[in-house]
Amino acid sequence: MVLEVTARDLYEKDPKKQVLYSAQKTWFEIGLDMDRDMRYGAWQIKEIIDLTLPPMQTQKVEHLMHFDSDTEEVEIEVKLLYYISGGKGDVIFTEKEQFTYEID
Amino acid sequence: MKAVTMLFRTSLILSCIMLFAHPLAAQEGKKKVSKNPHAVVTKEANTIDELVDILDEKKCAECHPEIYKEWKESWHAKSVTSPGSIKGIHNFLAIGLPKEWKKPITKAEVMKCYDCHAPVIQYASEKLAVEIAEKVITAHKEKDKPAGKKAEKELSKLNVGCVSCHNLKATSVARGLRGAPKKGAIYGPTGADSDGAHETIKTVDITRSVMCMQCHGKYKAPDGETIQCNTLSGSFQNAYQSNGGTETCQDCHMEKNSKTGKKSHLMPGGHDLDMVKKGLGLKVNFAQYRHLPGKIKGVKNDKAWVPSAVVTAFVENKAGHRIPDG
Repeated sequence: MVLEVTARDLYEKDPKKQVLYSAQKTWFEIGLDMDRDMRYGAWQIKEIIDLTLPPMQTQKVEHLMHFDSDTEEVEIEVKLLYYISGGKGDVIFTEKEQFTYEID
Repeated sequence: MKAVTMLFRTSLILSCIMLFAHPLAAQEGKKKVSKNPHAVVTKEANTIDELVDILDEKKCAECHPEIYKEWKESWHAKSVTSPGSIKGIHNFLAIGLPKEWKKPITKAEVMKCYDCHAPVIQYASEKLAVEIAEKVITAHKEKDKPAGKKAEKELSKLNVGCVSCHNLKATSVARGLRGAPKKGAIYGPTGADSDGAHETIKTVDITRSVMCMQCHGKYKAPDGETIQCNTLSGSFQNAYQSNGGTETCQDCHMEKNSKTGKKSHLMPGGHDLDMVKKGLGLKVNFAQYRHLPGKIKGVKNDKAWVPSAVVTAFVENKAGHRIPDG
């Protein structure tokens, strides 16, 4: 499961330059064999390192972002994605907000 | 003399009753057996079809069509042939056993996967269990080729079916107290009369989380080996129940079907996005501000106020186990 936070410059036309801020937080587990080497096989895994989101818990993920001094308008998007089989993530929740800044 | 006469009359009456009643009873018994979809297992199966015939679960659909339909759509119905199952089990059989453990494929090793993925294989002969393993290897290695597709088609007859939970695994969590499951009987939460279709045994065990935890957690094989496909039961016990959680696996994963009023046998989980959504929560606070000039390096104008934001996301796990798992 991944929380993606992305801020985009809404005035920038070039998609490559649009992204002003991007960060991810991933919840996952690491399976370990008896030598504490990471493994994927169910028969190999004897212990785990638990980096998942425990039940009955709410975790706070905070991002402080600064944009360039001439940035006028940004859109910030927060997505929670769930990966059932590794490859493609499905978006579970999305939240968006737009901010307009006064430029000196 | 009077006592002898009484004894003679009683014997005569009893003989008449036995004479007429016995064939009727036998006929009734025969009728029940012929309708019983879960014939008593008397010998080991040598083919997958024989194995499937032992349980003949399609007959369950005759009286329980809605439940059967739900189950058919569930991941329990794909427990052998889902891509993840084929790949994972192939890896154990084709890599783990020969290359790491340096052991041949035997029924005992095959059952380390299939005691959960297809419990009926316990009735397979040693030869058939090995053949099933070979089919899994073919299904994976020759995935898009005719041989692979043929193997997968055969394997698709195996799964976690009705009898897996309602008989084979029904007493396993309290074997000392309940004993072995009675062959031919169907264990259920209500013990409802089946009108002679099968013997029904009422059991509370099937409504408890521990029933699901037999397979949805760390599995311990008879030889002591631990197999860890997922650890749901670990976090359910140690992080959910220990924090006061009281719902069972069935409460969330077998919610009542609004049409039938019966517990759903779709048993949705991580593959179902609606289910995933139910188990998670996301709240985001966005705060806009301008940072003090000269404090942030790299901006074009270091004398200007710097456009800034603070985003605080609260990600909540509302499920009874950790997310993700497996």
